[in-house]
Amino acid sequence: MTTLALVRPRTDWLGIVFAALLTIAIVGPLLVVGTWAFTEVWRYPNVIPQQFGFRFWGQTLGRPDVWNALMLSLQLTTVVTLLSAAICLPAAYAFARMSFPGRNILFFSFLAGHAFPKFGLLVAIAAIFLQLDLIGTFWGVVLIQLVGTLMFMIWIPVAAFQAVDRRMEEAARDVGASPLRVFWSITLPQAGPTIAAAVLLSFVGTFYETEGAWLIGAPGIRTMPVLMISYINNQMVIQFGAVLSVVLWVPSFIALMFARRVIGGGAFARGFGG
Amino acid sequence: MSEVTEGAVRPLIDGAARRRPIGLLLVAIPVLLMIWLVIWPAMNAIGRTIWRTDANGQLSFDLSSYVFFFSDRYSLDNLAVTLWTTFVCAILLLVICLPIALYLRFSHGRLSAYVQALAIFPMFVPSIILAFAFIRVLGPNGMVDILLNAVDLPKIRTPYLTPWGPVIGLVWDNIPLTVLILLAGLGSVANQSIEAARDVGANALQVFWHIILPRISNSVLVALSFSVLGIFSSFTLPYLLGPASPEMLGPFMQRTLREVQNPVGAMTQAVVAFGFCIVFGLFYVRSVARNQGK
Repeated sequence: MTTLALVRPRTDWLGIVFAALLTIAIVGPLLVVGTWAFTEVWRYPNVIPQQFGFRFWGQTLGRPDVWNALMLSLQLTTVVTLLSAAICLPAAYAFARMSFPGRNILFFSFLAGHAFPKFGLLVAIAAIFLQLDLIGTFWGVVLIQLVGTLMFMIWIPVAAFQAVDRRMEEAARDVGASPLRVFWSITLPQAGPTIAAAVLLSFVGTFYETEGAWLIGAPGIRTMPVLMISYINNQMVIQFGAVLSVVLWVPSFIALMFARRVIGGGAFARGFGG
Repeated sequence: MSEVTEGAVRPLIDGAARRRPIGLLLVAIPVLLMIWLVIWPAMNAIGRTIWRTDANGQLSFDLSSYVFFFSDRYSLDNLAVTLWTTFVCAILLLVICLPIALYLRFSHGRLSAYVQALAIFPMFVPSIILAFAFIRVLGPNGMVDILLNAVDLPKIRTPYLTPWGPVIGLVWDNIPLTVLILLAGLGSVANQSIEAARDVGANALQVFWHIILPRISNSVLVALSFSVLGIFSSFTLPYLLGPASPEMLGPFMQRTLREVQNPVGAMTQAVVAFGFCIVFGLFYVRSVARNQGK
């Protein structure tokens, strides 16, 4: 409550308390997982593992199911991201720059996916896929993950295209540049970084997508998160899951580094309606 | 405002009339995809659970799947545990995130930057890794047990596989967006109005109650709606951390669809979930649309 007083105390006790509690609750569990990944022997009552080592890294990464899942996950994620970019970016350009009947209604219709509890909607989609024989297939999972990226891949690029300086485009047109040339040399370089961020974040988001892959893909399609579920449920060797967690977290770490600036501002929260 | 300028500028670039069909064509694929895989499934789920084929192969109005859901002990227990989890999570999220957001709004410096970074960090931890970490820390013989044992205290009653398991996991998972949304709302509270209230002798609690809370009530509702929508039908964390019975609606729907192979039953459960969330969903969509419209 001292903070409300707007009086700057010498020692920021409240901040220290928050920092300590959050460190224990948020960093603590991840540190334990990280420790397990580099542990060879850790029997119960010991506070510190008896033996550290990399033995389980070789064993985990040598497992064929891990490699198959990783390859499948990368394939799926690449296909979904490319498809999403191919259909969403032109649409985003149209929403930002062109006028056509029903533009606003269609733009806001992408919110519909967020009006429903997500897993309920996935079950409703799965019921349709059952009739279409898409359950357990690669393309069934592609479709369900593609829908998950739509809003993100349209709304952020629309904002990016709208932020481009129109006067520069007009100036280029005035000196005789073709529309394609203007798009390539003026519009894209300005909107590019934001669009790249949207593409990267949807790649990472798709990589971790678990619920659609599990509901639609099982049993044929085993992505990395789905494999991790089965490791948590029925794998006796704790280190396999721990090593996999550390490996799995790498894409997330890249996104974290990339998104730090974007998320610092309030713009991100406003996108969620804040 | 931008509409007006765009409209005025466009004729200089191109004939607006010529562009009309092209614009529709460019947005057609994502819009159709959204209709096919969001709107249609929702309609289809409602339709197929209300109009069902009877013994003679005739389509008729039939609410028997809902009658079954609301008279079946097991379904009702699952619904109850889902409502309980959602409610407890929402309360806990507010109790945890509001003080953090208030602290971040009114303090600057390296410590507050560190607190903010930590509060946002769970966004970058996939829930599947969170579930694994949870079991290693709070599960049987986990880190907490190890530390308690080291100081000669008895073991905890582990929340793993109890209704508290999903609660802890879901709260952890939802902290970042709740803090971000509340923080964005607190941004609209002017320092002057707080100083003015303090000048006339208001204490911290009065300032919070009379000045801050009325201004961020909308953000609080948005944050709550967003987390309720996510938590009510969450799947991964309840499936991995929660009890097998009663289970939350997410795992229940998954099992009904894939293991019991009863699509009508699963769709009934999904429509029940839609019904419970409709208010939050509409409120959330309205807030986002209004924000974008600004």
